[in-house]
Parts: sequence; C-alpha cells; structure tokens
Amino acid sequence: MELISLKDAPLESKISLLKELGYNSDGEFVLNAKGDKVIDKYIEVPVKINNMVILPGSEVILDDN
Amino acid sequence: MSSDNFTSDIIKGATKGFLDWSSENIALLVKKFKEKKLAFIKDPQTIEIVKQEYRSGESKFYQKYVKNKEILFLVRIGLVLRKLENNETKLQNLRDKIFRRYKVRGLHIAEFVQAGILNRYLGLIIEDLSFVEELEKEIEEVLGNIEKHTLFVKYNENPFEIIKKVSNIVDSHTPRILIIFGIKSSIEIIRKAKEKIKQLMKNYELGEVSGKDKEILFFKRKLHKNN
Repeated sequence: MELISLKDAPLESKISLLKELGYNSDGEFVLNAKGDKVIDKYIEVPVKINNMVILPGSEVILDDN
Repeated sequence: MSSDNFTSDIIKGATKGFLDWSSENIALLVKKFKEKKLAFIKDPQTIEIVKQEYRSGESKFYQKYVKNKEILFLVRIGLVLRKLENNETKLQNLRDKIFRRYKVRGLHIAEFVQAGILNRYLGLIIEDLSFVEELEKEIEEVLGNIEKHTLFVKYNENPFEIIKKVSNIVDSHTPRILIIFGIKSSIEIIRKAKEKIKQLMKNYELGEVSGKDKEILFFKRKLHKNN
C-alpha cells in the first residue's frame, strides 16, 4: 500500500481531499456529510484536519498516532 | 490508534511526501484510495517508528508468545513509547491516547513494556519454567493482571502509603514477584520507602533498576530447598 503524507499538504488541498471523499471541514475539524464533527472511533475525540489520517476500509478517518 | 488488520498494510507501505495537490491529482488519489491502494497519513516519522518497532526482535518475540490481540497491541505500543522517549510532546500525546482508549490498565501495560520491566520480569522467571508453553501463560498472567504484580507509584503518594500498599499486596496474595515502579517525582518516594519495604519483604530477594528517569524494584520470593 502506498502512503501519502498529509504533513505538508496545504489546508485547501486537505479540504478538497475531504470533499472528494464526501466529507468537509470548518478549517479546524473534519465534518461528515451532515456537517457534524467526525469522531475518532478509537479515542472518541473530534478529528482535527491538521491531525487526520485517512485509512481505507469504510473510509476510516482518525486522529494521528 | 487501532489494532485492526489495516495496521499491517500501513506498516508495509512506502511513504510519499511531496505531491501535486491539483484537483485532478486529488481525484486520482481518491480513486486509488477507494481501490484500497493507498492511505493518507500525517507524519511519516511516526509511521517509521511504528514500522521499526513491528520489525524489531522484541516485537517478534512477543508476537510469538502473546496470543491476546489487545494485550499484544499494548505491548507494541509500549515499544513505540520507548522510542518516543526523546520526544516529550509525542510521548505525552500517545500516553493520553492510550489512557483514553484503554484506561489506566492499558497505560500500565504499555508503561510496563516501555520501561523494560516485562523483559526483566521474564529474565527472573525463565529459570523456573519447565516448558516453553509456560512462558505464554506467564506473560498473559502478568500483563492481564498487572495491578496484582506491580505497584505503580503516583507522584502525589508518600512513602508510608507505598509501604502500606506493599504490605497489603503481600498479605493478600504473596506474589512470586512484586514490582514497584515509579518515574519522575515518584522516584524519590520509592527511594525513601525502600529500606522499610526490604524489612517487610524478608522472604524476597531484591533486584533494582535505578536511574535518573525511573526507579524499579523487583522483589522475587526466595525458593526454599524443600519447594
């Protein structure tokens, strides 16, 4: 599997990427299609766009680490 | 943070940093993502550390002897914590996440591995084992019941509380090995309590790891000749 680092990606590009996947962002948090904050299912905190990882398998968006 | 199957795919993956973030390329990336050919990560360095740890001899060893997936995951996370010891921010970030997900018990398991206590513990018991299968049981017993075997000293406790706790543990289940572990401010608390604890633990042999960042006392019950 190829891994793409989002570390140096511009904010606008990250938002475009999220939109392409059916998500969005308010500039700080990742939002789902309904506009609700996406919650990291493992640690139960809202995922920040600057700290997100996006993994295949039902489009899993998680906080880094 | 997860123990799911995709973790191994991520570990095997090769990281690319620079990218053309044009809308055409983003669409192409999303297409590959939906085909499960790529993943988006944040910090390649974090992935590199995890990769190194998954491939390490220590990790492979525990993979062989720890069958409980959650405990194995925490063991591996403990090894990652050890690698992050020079990066206080990342270390604390990961500790916070372990705590949120796995509560105190999970954090204690990871810390137990991070501090090298599990390796030493096995070093102390291995001479008493007759079969290699016992090793698997011993590891799962000590990690699965970590509070029975280890006293994690908190920064706000005093030496008398530690002595009392040790006394209670020994009276309640006479562990074969009792470990007392502390970092930062807890180091001094353990050092102050040590002599009294030694008096309480006359049937135990003491081994210790003493450093500027941690203090670990290992008390191993003495075996009598007729045992």
